[in-house]
Amino acid sequence: MSATLAPTGPHLVIAPMLVALVTAIATLATRGYPRLNRGLSVLGNLVYVGAVALLAAAVLPNDVVTYQLSAWLAPFGISLVADALAVFMLALAALVSLAVVVFSVAYVDDQGQNVSYHPLYHFMLTGVSGAFLTGDIFNLFVWFEVMLMPSYVFVVFYSGPRHTAAALQYTVLNLVGSALMLVAIGGLYATTGTLNMADMARRLAAPAEFGIAPAPVLGLAAILLVVFALKAGIVPFQFWVPPAYRAAPAPISAFLAGVTKKVGIYAIIRLYFTVFSAGTLDSALGLPGFAGRSFLDFFGPVLFVMALASIFVGGIGAASRGNLDDVFAYSSIGQVGFIVLPLAVVATVTDPALQVLGIVAALVYSLNHAVAKSLLFLVSGTVYESVGTIQLSELGGITTRQPVIAGSFFLGMLGLVGIPPLSGFFGKLLVFDTAGRALAAGAPGTGLALAGALGGAILTIAYLSRAWSRGFWGEVSPAVEESTRPVVLVGVIAVLALVVVAIGVGFDPVYATAEAAAEAALDRQGYVDAVGPEVVSDA
Amino acid sequence: MTQVILALVLGLLFALGTYLVLREDVVRVVWGVTIISQSANVYLVTMGGLRGRAPILGHGSEHPVACSVPNAGANCVTDPLVQALVLTAIVIGFGTTAFALVLTYRVYEEHGTIDLGEVRAE
Repeated sequence: MSATLAPTGPHLVIAPMLVALVTAIATLATRGYPRLNRGLSVLGNLVYVGAVALLAAAVLPNDVVTYQLSAWLAPFGISLVADALAVFMLALAALVSLAVVVFSVAYVDDQGQNVSYHPLYHFMLTGVSGAFLTGDIFNLFVWFEVMLMPSYVFVVFYSGPRHTAAALQYTVLNLVGSALMLVAIGGLYATTGTLNMADMARRLAAPAEFGIAPAPVLGLAAILLVVFALKAGIVPFQFWVPPAYRAAPAPISAFLAGVTKKVGIYAIIRLYFTVFSAGTLDSALGLPGFAGRSFLDFFGPVLFVMALASIFVGGIGAASRGNLDDVFAYSSIGQVGFIVLPLAVVATVTDPALQVLGIVAALVYSLNHAVAKSLLFLVSGTVYESVGTIQLSELGGITTRQPVIAGSFFLGMLGLVGIPPLSGFFGKLLVFDTAGRALAAGAPGTGLALAGALGGAILTIAYLSRAWSRGFWGEVSPAVEESTRPVVLVGVIAVLALVVVAIGVGFDPVYATAEAAAEAALDRQGYVDAVGPEVVSDA
Repeated sequence: MTQVILALVLGLLFALGTYLVLREDVVRVVWGVTIISQSANVYLVTMGGLRGRAPILGHGSEHPVACSVPNAGANCVTDPLVQALVLTAIVIGFGTTAFALVLTYRVYEEHGTIDLGEVRAE
């Protein structure tokens, strides 16, 4: 690598963010030249994929590369940390973003693209990348804002009555969420004396040495969980999801469901399993259902209830919706429940191998959901472009008129349901495996987890096959009769459908990466050592 | 004493913001969100502690110690970090408030009203 132009070492960590930021600025500056603008946008995204690949090559299987901003040592400066977990999430974002940007160029109308579509999109990607890479909790807040600001604009992009109403709800909710996040971060700084995640983990592990009272930290961490649950759309913070996903342009819904939601999941894994897991309460909580003194013993049951509620609210909601976008939006609430469930199950167990398995399950399921759900939202956009409607009552017979669109939907659907050898099969298998092993180990409540996951899986089959039989099978409806064939859009979804198959068929490297990521998430000491917060003497 | 007054004022501000967010008028909701985020900023300043002198480092003088560090001594300075954080948060808040106000105007244009009881998604 030494003789290439590619950046190496610590500088590689900031490469994905820099690429996205430069692309955003370049597309902002070239708005007057539509073809150049779109070319730069796609090119920038390709370079982004390359940057993520280079970073992944440097980090995997189990290295941690840190970048100290302006060479200020941790914990005084802002640290950016790329470990296997961050790289796994970045790879997921890179994969989805490339499909989304190509789809956008063909899907969004000229005027929309000329205004500010591409710069906003890349600013959003910058925010997502920053959130995955930062090792500083206040900096995480800033990246969240960078990610949210363009998403507000995208929800109101079409500017109709429905879109403005959805955007108002989405914006107000997230602004209140941001204020809550500030409150939690300020409190964490006051109680632990640091904003650096590694430093915070180190201090929480030795609370007496640093004069930390654990109970307030637990409360503030719980406030922070509300913010992450809001971002990830976990029940009871899910109600903004369907209107926002319906209002945003199809490729943006794909990005929001596929990538932005996973930022919330990533933050839960990183902060609660790497950082806050270091904390222990002075005495056990005197509440029914909570045993043990570790912080995770508190968050485990909380996440458990939220995950199960998500699975059922999403599943039942999706089974009664009248158009494709709403089905997929409710479905993504349910699927996030499946991602959180293994995390909740392993939060309260002590067996390290089982903990790794639970996080692997969450990560594999995240990847599967990111690809399959983005694919389904893009299919919905393609159907809209081709047929002119996504109301299930006006669709029908797409299989005969548009076999490629129908085939892509079918693969995405099987991916979500979890039919072998598609990617979803392994996600579901790992979730069940986690719950089953926890049950065998005697962890409380895991029987309920198994039953819930099984019920959720059946619901998934029910609502997706309902959408399939109403929209794609059956008599050819008049609208479908006159459908056109948007070649580029169909091409993108066909390729993405093949990716769903490829991830399932070539699952070994995916599993190895997810396992490395899970081990990185649980290796607190490795994380602290890599960031290397200086020991500040109290004297 | 200052701590008690500030805590009371912050509590009142958060309560006022929450009350406004729950109103039916979009402009009041935006005001409410603005007040909540500004209260969060004031709260953030108090998190650095209220004691100590201004954190200015003179030429050749000793390194000042922030009062939030345990056993900082009598000659400590206020923690400057929270003020840096608040500056960042204020800038972000400025941008989001501007966007929320423009959005309010667009809601009014599309729906002909800013009464949330009549602004329906469909």
